[in-house]
Amino acid sequence: MTESRRQGALGLALVLPPLCLLFFLVVVPAVTAVVETLAPGPGGSAGLTVARYAEVLSAKVIRTDIAFSVVVTLISVAAVFVLGYPLALYLRFSPGRLASLLAVVFTIPLFVPVVIASFAMITFLVNHGLVSTVLYRLGIETFPPLVYNATGIVLTEVWASLPFAVLILGAGLQAIDDSLIDSARDVGAGRVRTFATIILPLNAIPTRITLTLLFISVFGSFTIPYLVGGNAPQMLGVTMTNYLTQYLRRTDAVTMAVLAFVIAAAVGVVYVASVSRRERDV
Amino acid sequence: MTAVQAAAGPPSPSWFWAIAGMRRALALGAFLALAAFILGPLLTLLVWAFAGAWLFPNLLPEFSLTWWSYVLGNADVVKAIRMSLLTAPVATAASAVICIPAAYAFARLEFPGRRLLLLSFLSANAFPKIGLYVSIATLFYRLDLMDTFAGVVLVQMINTLLFLIWIPTGTFRGINRTLEEAARDAGAGPLRTFFQITLPIALPGLIVAAMFAFLAAFDDAQGTLIVGTPNHITMPVMMYTLVLSYPQPVGAVFSVLLSLPSLAFLLLAQRYLRAGYLAAGYSL
Repeated sequence: MTESRRQGALGLALVLPPLCLLFFLVVVPAVTAVVETLAPGPGGSAGLTVARYAEVLSAKVIRTDIAFSVVVTLISVAAVFVLGYPLALYLRFSPGRLASLLAVVFTIPLFVPVVIASFAMITFLVNHGLVSTVLYRLGIETFPPLVYNATGIVLTEVWASLPFAVLILGAGLQAIDDSLIDSARDVGAGRVRTFATIILPLNAIPTRITLTLLFISVFGSFTIPYLVGGNAPQMLGVTMTNYLTQYLRRTDAVTMAVLAFVIAAAVGVVYVASVSRRERDV
Repeated sequence: MTAVQAAAGPPSPSWFWAIAGMRRALALGAFLALAAFILGPLLTLLVWAFAGAWLFPNLLPEFSLTWWSYVLGNADVVKAIRMSLLTAPVATAASAVICIPAAYAFARLEFPGRRLLLLSFLSANAFPKIGLYVSIATLFYRLDLMDTFAGVVLVQMINTLLFLIWIPTGTFRGINRTLEEAARDAGAGPLRTFFQITLPIALPGLIVAAMFAFLAAFDDAQGTLIVGTPNHITMPVMMYTLVLSYPQPVGAVFSVLLSLPSLAFLLLAQRYLRAGYLAAGYSL
């Protein structure tokens, strides 16, 4: 056996165990879910059927929940991005004590379990919570409820996802060569022009990765909408968990899970394409 | 700027935001708003943990430690703490044992499909998590893994894989090969080279990876809720019940307990985190 063949065999042997686990925990459940929901029931004819999807989607509640999930997710992602991009830029281009302090503060949510984050948000935003106390002291007594509704979900999702977004965007910005920016400045490009023509395009792949991962993670969240959201409409993650654990309608739950996969898959394609292009460049 | 300065100093074309005065005040205002948004909920929670009663519209509660004895005296809470301290370390250790050798292979060995296989570890992130857990539940029902210790450990391991593959792969890649080659030239075998040269240099990166993996396993609420209910309740799963059906100080006290591992790790690993491993882990 040649040295390179030996190395190849050893390498594959070493990576096989975690790959098997990944296969067992991700691929097998996902494929089982798809097959199970498409297979005809006992007494049904051979072949595949979309009857379960038609049935699940015929319920108005579920259709509303899907639409609600997509809208809440899009708003959350947009909010994280609008807050996160300037923050990443600031951390990249502004030295100084404020920036280094900021770098500490914004990473805190990364270390807070999402159950705690949700509960903390409730105590903060709830009627008669700290925010309403402060507003009351300032003379503002009526304002829309901030929690147990879509607003609460969005605020908590933003809180929990911000560090992740800033870190990926920041890593991308870090990779941009200073000399490129300096030369753009040298030939007279203004701040906005430099951003639009140099920084934004060079950071396009991390940006796409961030947006996609954010979408999938918010869309697939359970804890935040379960604790901070209202009763109805509710996000799909909560609905499918209720069907699984409360109503004991396992097949309906899995059908919703596959629907969520399909929605995320469309977004996921963009992500994988971006990442693999980046890996190839390295 | 001299070449030496350019190499040593942080990358900082400060022209980008540098208009004195006005811009500074704006930055300070934005910073304070962000700090209030990030820290406000956590501080409120912390105050609640030491509150006996907190009546509206008082800015501070009556302080008391009564809820601590209530929480720590609760048998279910103690059981949940024990379950968390059993499952998360087992999940992290099992994951590390299989992932770190794999990470070394990804970094150092040439084999077919290397890049694709490394990328495949991102696949768990391509699924909406809750959908994946629901699918896992249907598989685990069939395999009789629902509500078992093994099932809970397995579901917690999902979130550890990425940390324990990607961060160590980056760490091993960053180690200069010539060090290993020198050891080999001096007569050390491959195992001895790994344990005496590679491993000590890689250790900070591996520790950070294991730390993130542990927190991911320890903090997993969704997967453990679905797979472990009703007999394998960990601390984060217990939080759902406490948040929904107990007075606020109970959840707050329990949150403080639940944050202790994160805080401990943050303090212990600060040195490594500052060294940039955190960003390295996220620069996929």
